[in-house]
Amino acid sequence: MVTAAERVSSHKWGMVVDVDRCTGCQACVMACQAENNIPLSTEDIYRQKRTFAWIRVERYWYGDFPDVKARFIPIMCQHCENAPCEPVCPVFATYHNTEGMNVQIYNRCVGTRYCANGCPYNVRFFNYWEPVWPVSLRNQLNPDVTVRSRGIMEKCSFCVQRIRRGVREAARDGHDLQDGDIGTACTDACPTNALVFGDYNDENSRVSIMAKDDRKYTLLDALNTDPNVLYLAQVDATGGAIGGHD
Amino acid sequence: MLALGGLGVTAVMGFVMVFIITAWFGNPLPVLGFDQSPEQPIAFPHTAHAGSEPLLNTDGSPKLDADGNQLTGIGLDCTFCHRTVTSTNAAGIPPVETCVTCHRVIGATDSEPLTLLRTIGLGEDPGPIQWKRVHRLPDHVRFVHEPHIRFLTAAGNTDVIANRDEAAILAGTQMDGSVVAAVTCSTCHGDIKSQEQVAQVEPLKMGQCVDCHRKNNAPTDCTTCHF
Repeated sequence: MVTAAERVSSHKWGMVVDVDRCTGCQACVMACQAENNIPLSTEDIYRQKRTFAWIRVERYWYGDFPDVKARFIPIMCQHCENAPCEPVCPVFATYHNTEGMNVQIYNRCVGTRYCANGCPYNVRFFNYWEPVWPVSLRNQLNPDVTVRSRGIMEKCSFCVQRIRRGVREAARDGHDLQDGDIGTACTDACPTNALVFGDYNDENSRVSIMAKDDRKYTLLDALNTDPNVLYLAQVDATGGAIGGHD
Repeated sequence: MLALGGLGVTAVMGFVMVFIITAWFGNPLPVLGFDQSPEQPIAFPHTAHAGSEPLLNTDGSPKLDADGNQLTGIGLDCTFCHRTVTSTNAAGIPPVETCVTCHRVIGATDSEPLTLLRTIGLGEDPGPIQWKRVHRLPDHVRFVHEPHIRFLTAAGNTDVIANRDEAAILAGTQMDGSVVAAVTCSTCHGDIKSQEQVAQVEPLKMGQCVDCHRKNNAPTDCTTCHF
């Protein structure tokens, strides 16, 4: 008999980002902000250079005017298998769980910020202030996600609340978890399906199939962080591939 | 004089220590607003609704109706009012509409709680009742009722139910060995149906959760509950 503990650890969650499909519309950024109770990046927070974005769309310009092209890369926590943020945490507030996720436990975090210094992708964010929402947005907060208070580090959680809900509801309704049952806020919001979320342990899942693509690369490959977020390089109309480490 | 001051300081420190130690291992002492059984806006008796024993007044005498007959609890299933408990996160507090469905006609008109209920539910300006929450977990914990009840009601898992009411479990056992949801609640909530005013009897601290999860082979990864 498969125990509950084994059933949970039989997943290896991951994401594949097809950069070729990304239009830079920022829908993922907004969806993430709404789903995960991320503090508002207001103007004064921006001027302090302390803005929050668990997922951000980086923009690069290619070519010379007038043949200039904008390229976009959505970047979130890469959920590295060899995560540089994990060994530096003195209280084990961030660790790698059995489902291939780098998780952040808010009630353990003491706010040393070592992990943010260790992260080469700049995807960890520290709450320097108590988050404040305008009265009109207070009923918008997601009850499934903790509101992080001052002094807590936070980052992309792969929408673990949605993973938990998906696994739970599949068990409740008595059917197996199908590929596509669970989506993160960003993948569900993406209008071009540039972001795909799934289980690498399921051989027929979309992410497993996309991971075999020749265009596959990982960010900062030379650091050997072994991310669970994979990128598929953009193919230019003229035939050349842009991005990746070639 | 100085010695007395020292005694006072020792007494205060001793009291603080006792408070912290009791709060660490169980429920805190019921002082300074740490009472685990808050007064509710309407004195709702779970004894009369969920219980099926003869009802008593506060002085211990039998509670009689207008004709002098002994009143007994009606033994409602917990899920009759807490409807969402078997399907989702929260057990759910019933809307006033559920209360006045019966209490539009049932119950004495001179009863103070029922008069208050009818004023709130059927009066000029009907609105929700501001119940005080008794079982509250910290904000960084995500507790979901549904999988716990699914586990405890399943056939073969009924031994895990704590604070058992053997008669109710026997009566609630189905043909396939599973039990009805209402007999599992006592595991964390104690014997609610004998409480006039609901109190939190279990400490509901993380140690209690983890002990039970370990014993029953449930996941103990941090992100099971903290995210």
